[in-house]
Amino acid sequence: MRKMLAAVSRVLSGAAQKPSSRVLVASRNFANDATFEIKKCDLHRLEEGPPVTTVLTREDGLKYYRMMQTVRRMELKADQLYKQKIIRGFCHLCDGQEACCVGLEAGINPTDHLITAYRAHGFTFTRGLSVREILAELTGRRGGCAKGKGGSMHMYAKNFYGGNGIVGAQVPLGAGIALACKYNGKDEVCLTLYGDGAANQGQIFEAYNMAALWKLPCIFICENNRYGMGTSVERAAASTDYYKRGDFIPGLRVDGMDILCVREATRFAAAYCRSGKGPILMELQTYRYHGHSMSDPGVSYRTREEIQEVRSKSDPIMLLKDRMVNSNLASVEELKEIDVEVRKEIEDAAQFATADPEPPLEELGHHIYNSDPPFEVRGANQWIKFKSVS
Amino acid sequence: MIIFTCFTRHEIIYFLFSTGQTQKMNLFQAITSALDNSLAKDPTAVIFGEDVAFGGVFRCTVGLRDKYGKDRVFNTPLCEQGIVGFGIGIAVTGATAIAEIQFADYIFPAFDQIVNEAAKYRYRSGDLFNCGSLTIRSPWGCVGHGALYHSQCPEAFFAHCPGIKVVIPRSPFQAKGLLLSCIEDKNPCIFFEPKILYRAAVEQVPVEPYNIPLSQAEVIQEGSDITLVAWGTQVHVIREVASMAREKLGVSCEVIDLRTIIPWDVDTVCKSVIKTGRLLISHEAPLTGGFASEISSTVQEECFLNLEAPISRVCGYDTPFPHIFEPFYIPDKWKCYDALRKMINY
Repeated sequence: MRKMLAAVSRVLSGAAQKPSSRVLVASRNFANDATFEIKKCDLHRLEEGPPVTTVLTREDGLKYYRMMQTVRRMELKADQLYKQKIIRGFCHLCDGQEACCVGLEAGINPTDHLITAYRAHGFTFTRGLSVREILAELTGRRGGCAKGKGGSMHMYAKNFYGGNGIVGAQVPLGAGIALACKYNGKDEVCLTLYGDGAANQGQIFEAYNMAALWKLPCIFICENNRYGMGTSVERAAASTDYYKRGDFIPGLRVDGMDILCVREATRFAAAYCRSGKGPILMELQTYRYHGHSMSDPGVSYRTREEIQEVRSKSDPIMLLKDRMVNSNLASVEELKEIDVEVRKEIEDAAQFATADPEPPLEELGHHIYNSDPPFEVRGANQWIKFKSVS
Repeated sequence: MIIFTCFTRHEIIYFLFSTGQTQKMNLFQAITSALDNSLAKDPTAVIFGEDVAFGGVFRCTVGLRDKYGKDRVFNTPLCEQGIVGFGIGIAVTGATAIAEIQFADYIFPAFDQIVNEAAKYRYRSGDLFNCGSLTIRSPWGCVGHGALYHSQCPEAFFAHCPGIKVVIPRSPFQAKGLLLSCIEDKNPCIFFEPKILYRAAVEQVPVEPYNIPLSQAEVIQEGSDITLVAWGTQVHVIREVASMAREKLGVSCEVIDLRTIIPWDVDTVCKSVIKTGRLLISHEAPLTGGFASEISSTVQEECFLNLEAPISRVCGYDTPFPHIFEPFYIPDKWKCYDALRKMINY
């Protein structure tokens, strides 16, 4: 519980300030918590899986709702800024997959570690950075979390190792972080994420082998959003049971659109790893509304009807909202208020991201090596040199 | 849209004496045309890579699957090492393998296969086996917003590997001829396509197949005061620098497109430097260890007494390819012009 409060205070400190009195008045009429049934996970080499019922407290529910809504609106704002050419380069949005990032965070501690690929804005937020820092990094300004030098695919935070552009390259890294966790003996785990496209990369299997051999506390997570860029999973993989691909590593298949399902599965997986049994694999079945990146309309390889169907039947924010309202955990008005606050926060962050100045030109040479003393970077010709400081 | 209307003498002669028709094509259409010709001529030719079936992320393979069937134009899963390894296997049995690596930045998982397997096959088997019918095509170079992993120029890494050929065209006409030569060449070839030119470069390109020889640099413009060498997109930059030099300084520049990185045309470059006495080489890739260092080193060995000034290399910085700093990073015409001026006044 203490850990939850720590996470809550971190999120709220970045969010708009809300007078606490309004919450107290409203909570008199609401239930404190409710029990929900969640989908049973398919299991591979496991006798038991995560529980099929879970308790959601009002406090947690509101927190998850706010976080998911923030990620959703942040991604939509990034879409807008990209179309206005304020954000340039590559931009991979994760709207539709909010239950994954928020649900995973809910199942682990802030001291655990997480690494993922390039669809990382949601994870950057749930791991503790503010929307301001994320949007400013997208626009390439000095207020950005990587000082404007990384962009969309390279965002980092404490215990969050990015943000990686090369597909599949982050998985052996995740196994390495898990080794460090085991070595340090602090009971931490590492969540190593990759997509359905990356699941066919050779280095993933190398990482599976090492993690299983050395019993590393690594939770491999395949975020299966059914399409690797424009290729559907049936056309790319000989076996689309991604949770079984670890072969000798036990696996579970989780409904990635239901945040409670993701949370319970993550808790189960984290407990498994912390007990020293070795790695475990989770497949989160999820969906992205946008195309692969901003240069992909996302409709040439799937139908608009399919996207609409997922939006109307399985939208993670809608599912949580319905559950909370129907169990009297919150009112529609209260959630609408959160929407308004989130919109304002995103607007402010976008203002900042647009107005903040770009990093100074001297930064071009910084942080190439760990340089002590600073050295000179050779420039475009023998008369141009830059200083490299780090 | 930039339209290149200044053909080299070689190209003009081609057009004067050829009887085939030409069509206005941009770079990716010229590539498609070359691949079309290859698949038509060679029944063993196959094209594979990520997303090539629907036409490719840069539209280089549009229409080929419909025309030649799904057995000859097919997608691979996301596995560069697998793609190249698989391509080597196809080539060893004698079929023509045309592999696509979606961005040159992603070629590194396949680096082992290219350097250790493909390049050394003929040598280590004493000419019993070879994978000469393998060609790897990959989009290359800066594109304005590519950042770290969609802008790289890795030709220098491969230049260090005997056994393969690395070719980089500057225009649609050059691309089609060079690609056809690579496919027909009996050595494994890597063909880097400047992605920024896919749509921007438009030319009249012959519809019928034709070859442009490999390992031959082309003197695009003759001059007497300084030799400028580049490849790919950078050729257009130095061409502009040459006209700036003529206007503002009255300097006559000899402009050379290297075309094949390895094995490179030492004779043409050295002959030119003997004539002019000055050499400026420019490329987007970082300065240290970039291919300009090889050219510079060889030229000073061969033409030491002819040099009037130290050889100048105008290249990218020794940093990873930046996101927001790209306009400052690339060796643009001003940096080249500045270096040229310093050399003239040496």
